[in-house]
Amino acid sequence: MTGRPFAVRRFFVVHRPSVRGRARADRGALLLTGAVVAVLTLLAGAVQPLIRDTAEAAVQDAVRHSEADVRAHASLARDDTEDGRARHPGLAEDVDEIRRRADLGLDDELRDVLREPIATATGPTLNVTDGSLLRTFRLTYLTGSPRVTWVAGGAPGPTVAGVAAIPYGAQWPVQTALSEPVATALNVRPGDKIRLQDENRNPKDVTVSGVFRPVDAADPAWRLMPELLRPVGGQGTFGSTRMAGLLSPDSLPDARLAFGQDEMGVTVSFAPEPSKLTWESARTIADIVVKLKATSGSSSQYEGVLKWETWLDIELRAVAARIDAAVAQASVLLIGVLLVGVLVLLLAADVLVRRRTPALVIARRRGAGLADLFAELVLESLAVGVLAAAVGLGAAFAVAGGISWEWALPVVLAAVFAGPAFGTLAAARATRNRRVPANRSARKRIRDTGRLRRFVLEAAVVLGAVGALVALRQRGVAPGDGDPTFAASGPAWGVLAGAVVLVRLLPIGTGLALRWALRSRRPLAVFGAARAADTAGRVLPVLVMVTAVGVASFAFTLDVTARQGLAEGARRTVGADARLDVSPVAEASTPELARAIAAEPGVRQVITAQITDSARVGTPGAVAAPRLVITDRPDLRELRDGAVPALVRGDLGGRLEVIREGLPPVPLVNVGTAPAIGDVEEVVIVDTQAAAAAGLVAVPNTIWVNGPGAAKAARAHATGAAAQVYATVLDERRAAPLTAGLLRLAWTAAGVLLAFGLLGLSLGAASGAPARWQTVSRLRTLGLRPRDGRWVAVGELLPPALLTAIGAPLLGVLFARLAFGPLALRQITWQAADPPPVLPWWPLLGVALVLVAAVAVVVRVEATARRGRRLGEVLRVGSLDG
Amino acid sequence: MTGPLLKVAGVHRRFGSGPAAVHALRDVSFEVAAGTMVALVGRSGSGKTTLLNVIGGLDRPDEGTVHVEGTEVTALDEDGLSRLRREKVSYVFQTFGLIPVLSAAENVGAPLRLARTPAAERERRVAMLLDLVGLADHAQQRPDELSGGQQQRVAIARALAASPRLLVADEPTGQLDAETGLSVMALLRGVVESEGVTALVSTHDAVMMALADRVIHISDGRLEG
Repeated sequence: MTGRPFAVRRFFVVHRPSVRGRARADRGALLLTGAVVAVLTLLAGAVQPLIRDTAEAAVQDAVRHSEADVRAHASLARDDTEDGRARHPGLAEDVDEIRRRADLGLDDELRDVLREPIATATGPTLNVTDGSLLRTFRLTYLTGSPRVTWVAGGAPGPTVAGVAAIPYGAQWPVQTALSEPVATALNVRPGDKIRLQDENRNPKDVTVSGVFRPVDAADPAWRLMPELLRPVGGQGTFGSTRMAGLLSPDSLPDARLAFGQDEMGVTVSFAPEPSKLTWESARTIADIVVKLKATSGSSSQYEGVLKWETWLDIELRAVAARIDAAVAQASVLLIGVLLVGVLVLLLAADVLVRRRTPALVIARRRGAGLADLFAELVLESLAVGVLAAAVGLGAAFAVAGGISWEWALPVVLAAVFAGPAFGTLAAARATRNRRVPANRSARKRIRDTGRLRRFVLEAAVVLGAVGALVALRQRGVAPGDGDPTFAASGPAWGVLAGAVVLVRLLPIGTGLALRWALRSRRPLAVFGAARAADTAGRVLPVLVMVTAVGVASFAFTLDVTARQGLAEGARRTVGADARLDVSPVAEASTPELARAIAAEPGVRQVITAQITDSARVGTPGAVAAPRLVITDRPDLRELRDGAVPALVRGDLGGRLEVIREGLPPVPLVNVGTAPAIGDVEEVVIVDTQAAAAAGLVAVPNTIWVNGPGAAKAARAHATGAAAQVYATVLDERRAAPLTAGLLRLAWTAAGVLLAFGLLGLSLGAASGAPARWQTVSRLRTLGLRPRDGRWVAVGELLPPALLTAIGAPLLGVLFARLAFGPLALRQITWQAADPPPVLPWWPLLGVALVLVAAVAVVVRVEATARRGRRLGEVLRVGSLDG
Repeated sequence: MTGPLLKVAGVHRRFGSGPAAVHALRDVSFEVAAGTMVALVGRSGSGKTTLLNVIGGLDRPDEGTVHVEGTEVTALDEDGLSRLRREKVSYVFQTFGLIPVLSAAENVGAPLRLARTPAAERERRVAMLLDLVGLADHAQQRPDELSGGQQQRVAIARALAASPRLLVADEPTGQLDAETGLSVMALLRGVVESEGVTALVSTHDAVMMALADRVIHISDGRLEG
């Protein structure tokens, strides 16, 4: 003994030369263990911070796109005099005061995440009475005065200077400014009057003072009233187009007098500042908003009382639900990776201990206590585990800017203690005084006890899996219902339990294969099957392989299903390869536009339709607001008892009618189910000619284009129309933070798990290699040719690989089917319902091929490593098989 | 057959190189007549196993030649050696070398499978050999259900299955108690006579030597006497 032992608190003695010697002899295995620990701690340490960053980005992204302003509505103070109404020249200051009051009424925490407020004073909706299609117009005043340049004329001036009194009901003239597109749509110039009347058909005296062009069309103020900048089509009233005119502080008092006392309202809008919202603050802000809405005044209350309105809380809760779903999906994958990682570490420890058992037994026989051996082994694995964990966590910090310790800890513990525990047990078993009893029944009792222990362990795994899956399906993985980790571990537990069952089936399968081989005339099949049957009882390598590939299959299924769901969701949103939403001013040219698009190269199909969102449709007992699609459908052309045949999506009943302002309703009869068109739940489709025959004249405003050239053609003809391209929508959705993050994680997890599966195969093969090649060498003494020896080795390694290639993907897909419901994939695929699991055929086929190829590679490597060794040398070493 | 069944001439075998080289066999030459049982005797490390390996083609000598029934073993390539082991030379090892999941009968039939012997003929031969080694009643038992002596008997039956000309046994009684070892040696003696096979058996047990037709002593890689 060259080294000096040292005692740690006198409990055990560590023989440092032994520690150094073992570490030097097994540096390859220790390095491998270190690499696995580093990869696992990198994943475990980085995923949580990455999830937090992604969730933050998702909240900000959702708020940025939602335009969910917080709005306070207030009415203006009454302007009554003794016998009429008074013109109040300082009305703009009053509007600004309401804006200040609204700002002060906000909770500080909420105000911190909102931008500076903008107030709008808006008149009632007026109808444009120039004899064309139904169009509406509103007069609007904006605080903050967005900058404009005057193309013609100038800013609206006052009708009279200062205070004035007018009798009730008198018509009062007002000046307004129009944007170029609105002026064009109304065909007016400065000095012209706009032909308008209110809902009671009272004409309004509105004169155009000027035509403007916004200096910055992206100014937040314009966002509140887009119809100020251009005619906006579509919603609310069937077939209407909205437009607006801009008021100045000077013309605002006149606008007030032009309408009834209560007809002009003020709205203060606070746009959320996405960069100030965080994942953690989102729920708090949503709660504050709910409270604000609950305590706000009602429209019936006296003037000046603010009535708060927003869907920011709904948006924040929706994105929180999406984050919960994504976190749950990520947790499921991460738990799977960690579980397999820990199994790999156990296998690596087992392989290492097998190599070391003779040395440990010798050390034990020379007097080393079990505690000493354990301490020596812990010292070594502590150094490896802590160093590797430091590397992994350092990399995690570099990648994610933060570290999650809680997930990394089980990995480090497994790495540090598995090897020492196995090694000490092996040394204890080999040197204990108990001998195998001569009594057959005593031997049987020992065997039965071992079987019972294994059965209890396996039953615990299966019961754990059942419990986790039940928790997952019944409670889901949403936070707030207790710790969701157990439920999130359901799929990984399930795959592990399935792997336990498959491992149990492997000896039965190899036994049957051996029987078949014994009846065959192929000697190699017999010896390969014999080796396979002999080694089928080795649990850990197969458990690692099946669990790794099973969870990888789960990850592949998640990825493919999400991608398919995204594609279907985008297809449903666009409705074709591309869609053009024709602006109301250009609707008349839709047929011509459609013909031009159809003539473009690569365009296979062009369909036009008039789409009216939230059309008023009377159903038995209620009025619904479905999407009404009027398009060419020859199969729906023939009227039925005067009713227009319609395909209906949603529960709208058998007999419906389209309600029109000032016109008799058009009866519809439900003759079938409509396909999904866009993201709405209720859709009604009728034929253009049938609708016209019933008095419902349609002007197409939508063009669907299909074909490889659809996107290019749609973009080329997007003047006067908004082009929506399927591929672009899909790309945008895929690139959304939560979706992109989850898809990346799914692929990373699948890759790491496959690597672990292959590592399991390699480690299992490495631990069985001495016995395998001993047998091959024995067979060579019976006349087996060297090249045939490889087939025997393949015969041994192939059954676990085949079991993994076939069984593990089935487990992965099975537990994907069981788990996808609670995981709410729809939250990241932008679909109304969860997408059905899609089988990832190509990845699974690839996995199977990789496993089979890995067996071939392992056998070739093993054979090459032994090529130089003489048979006599191999047979001289060890005593096996018999 | 006119000459000896086994002829070893001027065989040298070294392991390693330079000053650390171990000279396991030094100019070993001898001949063995067909149908005899020769005991190769020496202490541990004397070169017995190396010599047996060279004779059976499991190892190649650095110098010298080995002929078995006229075939120069030392000149054969791997395929030739495989053929030699299938047809002329078989082995019995100290550690038995049986395949655990196969029954005694299936283990005995293994060389016949490699030789692609028809099933009926294989079964007949296996039954005869198991009867010869006294294990006819244990044909369907697996190695772990047999005692050490019985396992070695199965190994001997397997070695005889392909009707070899030379049976090489390396310490076949090394893992057996004295009584069982003696019975195994007696069995080998018996099969030499009944099967007409030539046996070269290494041992360091003087009692076993009495059963041999001839004893060759080896010490420090050299034959003695």
